[in-house]
Amino acid sequence: MKGFRRYLVLFLLLAIPILLISSNGWAQSKVVKIGFIGPLTGPNAAQGVGARNAFDLAIREANASGKYPFKFEMVALDDASDPATGVAAALKLVSDPAVAAASGHWNSPVALATIHIFHTYRIPFIVWGAIHPDITGFYKYPGVNRVAPTLVQENGPLCDWVIGELGYKSISIISDTSSYGEMNLKAFRPMAEAKGAKILSVDSVTVGTTDFRPILTKVKGLNPDGLYFGGVVMEGALIRDQMEKVGLKKLFFAISGIKDDKFLEVAGPSGEGVLTIKPGRPIDKLEGGTRFVRAYEGAGYREPFGAYGPNAYDSAGIIIEAISKTGAEDKAAISKYIRGIKYKGLMGETSFDATGQTTNVMVSRFVGQAGKWVTWEESEYHKGARQLPK
Amino acid sequence: MAEVLQQLINALLLGCTYTLIAIGFNLFFGALNVVHFSHGDVCILGAFMTLILYGLAKFLGVLTFLPGFLFVPLLIIMAMALTGLIGTFFERVVIRPFRYAPLLMVLVATVALGMVIRETVRLSFPHGSNPQIFPRILPQASFQWGGVLLRADNLIIFGTTIFLISMMFLLIKRTRIGAAIRAVSQDTEAAAMMGINIDRTVAATFLIGSALGAIAGILIGAYNNIIRFDMGLMGGVKGFSAAVVGGLGNVYGAIIGGLILGVVETFAAAFIPGGTPYTDVFAFLVVIFFLVFKPSGILGEKVYEKV
Repeated sequence: MKGFRRYLVLFLLLAIPILLISSNGWAQSKVVKIGFIGPLTGPNAAQGVGARNAFDLAIREANASGKYPFKFEMVALDDASDPATGVAAALKLVSDPAVAAASGHWNSPVALATIHIFHTYRIPFIVWGAIHPDITGFYKYPGVNRVAPTLVQENGPLCDWVIGELGYKSISIISDTSSYGEMNLKAFRPMAEAKGAKILSVDSVTVGTTDFRPILTKVKGLNPDGLYFGGVVMEGALIRDQMEKVGLKKLFFAISGIKDDKFLEVAGPSGEGVLTIKPGRPIDKLEGGTRFVRAYEGAGYREPFGAYGPNAYDSAGIIIEAISKTGAEDKAAISKYIRGIKYKGLMGETSFDATGQTTNVMVSRFVGQAGKWVTWEESEYHKGARQLPK
Repeated sequence: MAEVLQQLINALLLGCTYTLIAIGFNLFFGALNVVHFSHGDVCILGAFMTLILYGLAKFLGVLTFLPGFLFVPLLIIMAMALTGLIGTFFERVVIRPFRYAPLLMVLVATVALGMVIRETVRLSFPHGSNPQIFPRILPQASFQWGGVLLRADNLIIFGTTIFLISMMFLLIKRTRIGAAIRAVSQDTEAAAMMGINIDRTVAATFLIGSALGAIAGILIGAYNNIIRFDMGLMGGVKGFSAAVVGGLGNVYGAIIGGLILGVVETFAAAFIPGGTPYTDVFAFLVVIFFLVFKPSGILGEKVYEKV
């Protein structure tokens, strides 16, 4: 008898937490889980953790607003910037029946590995940070969308600006032979020609080359209005510097790969009047940006939200709106709703094209001025105090 | 026409940088029958020495009271001296132990030494894997001459190359130490019997060769505005190729070989459509052509054991 009582006490002690958990469940409305994957550890952890915090903030705000018949819950998993780890995380999400949708990845190789899983299991998925064009443009999965502009899309605003607004019509192109350079070349050329520019020459250079004088001397003979460079910092800076050295005093403009202080350091005085762009806008220039920053700080996250925080925040917002409209059960309906969405969020109005790629391409424009990158609108070049080479 | 002339100037300058490295190869080979494969890395080490000294001078505020035209030669001389001493040290610990060993051994030892130099630079420099900005130590003035743009720094590089080559020639042919180097080169034992201190002669050769290499490295840095820890590898291979094309062991051969490589690379980039990424391919095709059809090079006299 004594033994039985002891068992009873033990049983009750064990039962209390179970009862507490289940009663808690009963008291709340239905729980809908939303997956988040990103590099939470490893070399890119700063990007992943900041994005996760912003994602979490959007979900907390949705729950606190009381507008939704669900309780949203974030399931944050780590991909460690590693495709294999990312795939394991994706499989974990898709095998949880409570997960209605997910968002993920800063690293393109990881995203390229996991989107097939989300597609196979028909879980709606939004890429918040990876920028490789193939993630949407090549696979075109109906359930996979992306809120981050690809590196190729940046060429559009650059063309609009330099060729459309500033009127540089004859262009020579140099790009590097990496896949980044080749994709830029493939994207820029038709965009520039559609804007009415004439492409005088196209050259590609291997990364690590230090002497560009032969090409630049050739380009000088063609006398273009401007030189477009699709590549990264070091080659860009050396080309810019050697343009001066061979007497090619023309406009140099390039894709965001060169937007780094190192470029101006290496290019030295020749960095003056170089035009480039960078995706995204400073947070204080976004509508609702200050509110977001205040809410983020108020929520007590220790890490900064980083460059992709706004992307993750809107990504969560899009998923929440879709689920609230279609319910959490019909995954195909959620995917369909997201593809057709016109979402007014932190980054402005986001909608997706037929491949699932965001059409909301925000870029900031920069010009090299006195050894610094200055936003175009605030620069002396825009105000007319300094002149771009013509 | 102006464009072709301008491209010729480009080719000439690229050729100069190759020639400067090739002279070192020829000196070591001519004097000691040694192919010093890490010579390219020693050259770039000279450029890094300059970078360190420049940083030090800036830190100490030397630039504020010393005018540039005094400071820069001083800087270069100090970097030369340091690199020369380091080169002599390398000879002592890496090359001398193999003096009476088969040639292949010293060859492998110098290849390994090159790796040691590169990795040491990479690891000991902050952000050593990235290209380092080389200070603009040469005047940047330029002037138009017809349709051709001439630059002061290019003229200095060209002039220095000519000066160094003539100095080298005089040193080998007209001085006591030059005679000693030639004697050691022709017959080490006989030279020793005539009272020539072999160790000291060899050490002097490496001091001179490495100091010259430092200038090559500095001029390469000044020409490109950057240096990278592994530039010596490609520079060494190109310099050695220039020496082979011109004729190993022949001072004039270095000039001809360097110029041929410079012209081939520049013209491949300038006049072959889409040729830019393949300039090295064209350069090495020329080297292979010479190795197959004229292994002694254009001015080479005898065929030594080939590498």
